[in-house]
Amino acid sequence: MRILLVEDDLLLGDGLRARLRQLGFLVDWVQDGEAAERELIAGQHAAAVLDLGLPRKDGMDVLAALRRAGMTIPILVLTARDAVADRIRGLDVGADDFVIKPVDADELAARLRALIRRSHGRPQERLVIGNVVLDPAARVVERGGVQIDLSLREFDLLHALMLNCGRVLSREQLEAHIYGWGQEVESNAIEVHVHHLRRKLGGPVIQTVRGVGYRVPGAGSSA
Amino acid sequence: MTWIFPRSLRGRLLLSVWGLTTAVWFAAAMLTWFDARHELDELLDAHLAQAAALLVVQQARETDEDDRAIDAPSLHRYAPKVAFQVFQDGQLIQRSANAPSKPMIDREARPHPAFVTVAIEGIPWRVFAAKGMRGAMEVYVGERLDSRESILWAILRSTMWPMTIALPLLVAAIWWAITSAISPLRNLGQALARRQPDVLEPVVVPGAPSEMTPALEALNGLLTRIEALMANERRFTADAAHELRTPIAAIRAQAEAALGAADPGERQHALKATLQGCDRAARLVAQLLTLSRIESGTAMSMEVINLAVVAKSVVAELAPLALRREQSIGVDAGADCAVRGDQTLMSVLVRNLVDNAIRYSPRGASINISLASGPSGTTLLVDDSGPGMAETDIQRLGERFFRGAGRAEDGSGLGWSIVQRIAALHHATLQVTRSGSLGGTSVAIAFPACIDSPGRQGT
Repeated sequence: MRILLVEDDLLLGDGLRARLRQLGFLVDWVQDGEAAERELIAGQHAAAVLDLGLPRKDGMDVLAALRRAGMTIPILVLTARDAVADRIRGLDVGADDFVIKPVDADELAARLRALIRRSHGRPQERLVIGNVVLDPAARVVERGGVQIDLSLREFDLLHALMLNCGRVLSREQLEAHIYGWGQEVESNAIEVHVHHLRRKLGGPVIQTVRGVGYRVPGAGSSA
Repeated sequence: MTWIFPRSLRGRLLLSVWGLTTAVWFAAAMLTWFDARHELDELLDAHLAQAAALLVVQQARETDEDDRAIDAPSLHRYAPKVAFQVFQDGQLIQRSANAPSKPMIDREARPHPAFVTVAIEGIPWRVFAAKGMRGAMEVYVGERLDSRESILWAILRSTMWPMTIALPLLVAAIWWAITSAISPLRNLGQALARRQPDVLEPVVVPGAPSEMTPALEALNGLLTRIEALMANERRFTADAAHELRTPIAAIRAQAEAALGAADPGERQHALKATLQGCDRAARLVAQLLTLSRIESGTAMSMEVINLAVVAKSVVAELAPLALRREQSIGVDAGADCAVRGDQTLMSVLVRNLVDNAIRYSPRGASINISLASGPSGTTLLVDDSGPGMAETDIQRLGERFFRGAGRAEDGSGLGWSIVQRIAALHHATLQVTRSGSLGGTSVAIAFPACIDSPGRQGT
């Protein structure tokens, strides 16, 4: 899952990025409000961690601008402002969650996963398509109760498809999901990952929509 | 003395007013006594003399008559206390019943006429002796002194008894008047005693006398100042606690990253960052303490100091930091830049400015500290060739903990608050602009001219 981390504190940003990466997130990090707004409007991330006291543009303003632009991306506000009034205002402006510093990075990750899940209308942590089960927290995929080994990118690709099950995701959308900034994307990378996934999963879990992209069947169709 | 003089205002007032009233009362009684006695003596002496004169005149008319009654009748209950004798040629010719047969006064010893106090049969008498017109006649009129005393006592009794009754009433009235007059004081004391320590609203004492107004105003002024101080303190504590969250969050995130790191390089990086986070938190705490000390306004000595010396020593201290960052740093100052201020605070101010310039300028930047002294005062300029600050950031500089954009350093945002506070304490004006000479940020602090000539220690 690709998320945007907006934090102007270098040490904190660096530490959070490192830990969230360890927990399986693709983390893009920006350090000021203007950059955050630009990236979030571009819509390449599944969720964002947003600090409020930002240079150039306050986090609250970024949030308001984002919601005005109709962006529904889940936003977790991470802040040192712990007054109830601040929290209420943050939630009213459009934050989906409000976390006070300092935060346990594992909890932050769990909250992000929950936000992403809910933003896709899924109440359970585990995603199930037929006999394939994906556990985003444990980063484990099982087929018929047997764990399958997937690479990082294969996991992220399957996760993205399963989260959006029933919907067709274009190659570009999938690339945005599994590659962060500065990561070289080869032209046929998605095809290669899909190929590997199909081999490991067996059966027609991932369907190709020619000229458009890929999809996994919707939960209603075969789960 | 304390055990004689009570500590309470009411006690003092009561004691002194009661004491004075009683003293005045006794003085009045004494005065009445002496005055009445004097008047009485005068009056009764005049009566004695008058009586003697009457006897002399009467005797002069009656000399030729033979039937002389030796004893005159006593006609009044006071009569036994009054006596007279009439002698003709040494012969007692007339006397009152209670008069002795011998002259009441030894006629050789006393010239006539005269008032004499003598003891007759052990009782003191007041006697007037007069000579008749024909020399050989002597008249003595006497009166017992104790009769005078009893008249005097009667006069005193009649004047003193209303006063004697009035005195306790007066004492009670004084007690009531004083107690009610000082009741606002007691109300104030009770109001203050009942107060919770965090209630700092002005004290209102209904019916407080005008004498209490200055004290009440001073008290309320003090309460207002304490309230402002406490609000400031609360805000500061909240700000500080709030601002420590971010470094702690960073330390935590880095430590978690170090724990979860798969390869040694990543762990190394995270651990180093953890230490850096600790250093930053420590620096923040130190700055918070500095700021809190400045804000609490603890002893600040105002003396004439040479800012050039201060600037040079601070730059010497910070030069290694700049050199590590391959920055060039220099001081451009005349010999004498006298400023009135606190030596320690001034060092803190210059250090914060220079430290900021070093930390927020990139590698290889130039930093210049210059001092200009003129008749209007001394101006300290810190210029750097760094990226400079956006106009909006310059406006937000005053806010505590605000950090400018794109700062690659671990500033706390408190340095500027410290600079502002110290400048304000020294009545100096602060200006941040884009540096004309170096292109980065330029901070100018203008100190007012100090009246004392440089080199002389101020007070």
